[in-house]
Amino acid sequence: MNLAEGVQLVSFIILTVMMLGAALAVVLSPNIVYSAFLLGGVFSAMAGLYLLLNASFVAAAQILVYVGAINVLILFAIMLVNKREDFAPVKYAWTRKIVTAAVCGGLFLLLGTTIITTPWAIDSTAAAGDEAIYILGEHFFTDFLLPFELVSVLLLMALIGAIVLARRDIIPDSSNVVGQDDLKLPEKPRELVSAGADGESS
Amino acid sequence: MDVANLASQLNVGVILPEGIVILTLLTVLIVDIIRGRAANAITPYIAIGGLSASLAALCLQWNIANPVSFLGSFNGDPLSVVFRAIVVLSAAFTILMSIRYVERSGTSLGEFITILLTATLGGMFLCGASELVMIFVALETLSISSYLLTGYMKRDSRSNEAALKYLLIGASSSALFLYGVSLLYGLSGGETQLGAIAANLTAGGQSLGLIMALVFVIAGVAFKISAVPFHQWTPDVYEGSPTPVVAFLSVGSKTAGFALAVRLLVVVFPLLADEWHFVFTVLAMLSMILGNMVALAQTSMKRLLAYSSIGQAGFVMIGLIAGTEVGYASMIFYLLVYLFMNLGGFACVILFSLRTGTDQISEYSGLYHKDPLITLCLSLCLLSLGGIPPLAGFFGKIYLFWAGWQAGLYPLVLVGLVTSVISIYYYIRVVKMMVVREPQEMSDAVKNYPKVSWDAPGLKPLQVGLVISVVATTLVGVASNPVFTLAIDSVENSPALSASLAKAKEKSAIAVLPKDSPSLEVTKVASAKL
Repeated sequence: MNLAEGVQLVSFIILTVMMLGAALAVVLSPNIVYSAFLLGGVFSAMAGLYLLLNASFVAAAQILVYVGAINVLILFAIMLVNKREDFAPVKYAWTRKIVTAAVCGGLFLLLGTTIITTPWAIDSTAAAGDEAIYILGEHFFTDFLLPFELVSVLLLMALIGAIVLARRDIIPDSSNVVGQDDLKLPEKPRELVSAGADGESS
Repeated sequence: MDVANLASQLNVGVILPEGIVILTLLTVLIVDIIRGRAANAITPYIAIGGLSASLAALCLQWNIANPVSFLGSFNGDPLSVVFRAIVVLSAAFTILMSIRYVERSGTSLGEFITILLTATLGGMFLCGASELVMIFVALETLSISSYLLTGYMKRDSRSNEAALKYLLIGASSSALFLYGVSLLYGLSGGETQLGAIAANLTAGGQSLGLIMALVFVIAGVAFKISAVPFHQWTPDVYEGSPTPVVAFLSVGSKTAGFALAVRLLVVVFPLLADEWHFVFTVLAMLSMILGNMVALAQTSMKRLLAYSSIGQAGFVMIGLIAGTEVGYASMIFYLLVYLFMNLGGFACVILFSLRTGTDQISEYSGLYHKDPLITLCLSLCLLSLGGIPPLAGFFGKIYLFWAGWQAGLYPLVLVGLVTSVISIYYYIRVVKMMVVREPQEMSDAVKNYPKVSWDAPGLKPLQVGLVISVVATTLVGVASNPVFTLAIDSVENSPALSASLAKAKEKSAIAVLPKDSPSLEVTKVASAKL
């Protein structure tokens, strides 16, 4: 084993221990804020593993998207619903943990066996390394062009949907806008929204 | 690869119908932004016009010479054309029904139509996608817009609950599906085209990894078509979400799910054909039994239709399991018929709830005396769903059961027959409630029934949709032959299915011959030579 392989092995072990430890702590920690920060640790460790696999672009994307966006979003969500409340300890809570551990262990064994026994068709060509980003771009504009373009429609729709869900409708204080017989649908809001006022408010 | 060369390779013309839908979607969005609330008078008609144009474009795409486009991402063979047409039709009918409903509930119509059109687009792409990335993106487009539609009535807590449930269960099933798909990618040595994956998998032979991939893929597909035991979300989501959305989910989204099932399972898993046929047999039996049994006990019309749609999905699966030409064709035929009868039923439910504000089955009693039109239409649609002879549903079921029987699926067909008799009971219960009751037995809602008028804005389109679907439900039954020929044509002309069809034919040829006949050897030799 030469020096490079040794460094690789040691960093693999460090990253794995970091990832597994952080992942267990995310699940077991009683404090949700600690869990959220530790989740960031899991994502970073995973980015390190990608680096070891010679996939630097994926590693950068992992840090940007997961740590930078998703994890921060989770923290925001936690901070916005920061309601201190002491929950009464559930009786026999340990049985749940044991059952969960058994299920997870079973799943791990199953997937582990699958991975070991399956004859994978391993690609023998060398990893692209830093060329990967060019290859990705080429794929986006040749054989993955259609999904790439469809994602733009998906994002547009997600944007519209988020606005629809999040916008605050202006409720007129007089209910005489609405005829009395109008209030019969199951989904009927308590007051009718005037759509004209909507646009001005946002 | 220069630009002109690339453009000719992409073969963009195949996705013209989808392009029209995208243009319509953008037009609706822009018109809605510019004109504000006044746009509500035109946006639904723009959307319906766009969907009709897309349908016309689909008709022109029938049996085109080169259906593969975008370097294999999308396949526009006749099979996908039929499924896409069903999705487009269901979206158009849903818009017809939703105009009045959405306006009355005080939410904005423009965004509703935009999201519905995106869901349609996702469903259409899913029907023709023949590449893993494309399948997943299309699936997510369909799913995420469905979650948004489910939670569209954001001030109704039931709608919120339904959306959250649908989102959580849907996200986990998407994750399972993605895991299965990633296993396929690994097993085939980095291929994403379905055909290439199938070719590479055959070289690798059967393995535990392949079985795991199959299990995960089936979990994702079964969630979309809400087969038991992946149906847990269906009743709650159907009860909570706006009724037009339920109509779309029960027809459009389910059709896309079946198209995905046909393409993915038949093309990629010929190695495990016996295994997935077995799993789907179990799923179909459970869906038919549980869906129809639980529907007996329902008191809400929406929940009744939810459980009945689970049962109906079980019937459709018979055609998929049969795996023969007639099997696939009868599946397409039944989906088409189901489109009309189910949407007709939902149109009546929407109309009734618009006029009385309730979905309870007991409130329908004595409706005949106040509103004969709804009573007639709802009765026809429900009887057709149950499979009463002159109506379309009967012929759909006959074709399905006949295909199943020919393929030797005797237990499955028997379960189907018994459960469809059970289903007739609960459909007829509603019809009896509406028709037979004397005037003094009327429910309060019917007693206070408003005077029937179609003048209110948005009711005319609803009426048009209702009448078209009821007429189709009645006529398709009588004139079922041309429609069925069309379905057979679409199956025959789709090269994706030819391998599985050949296999099924070979199997049935061996099964038909007497056991001790010497010609058995001859056929085997002949088929080996072929």
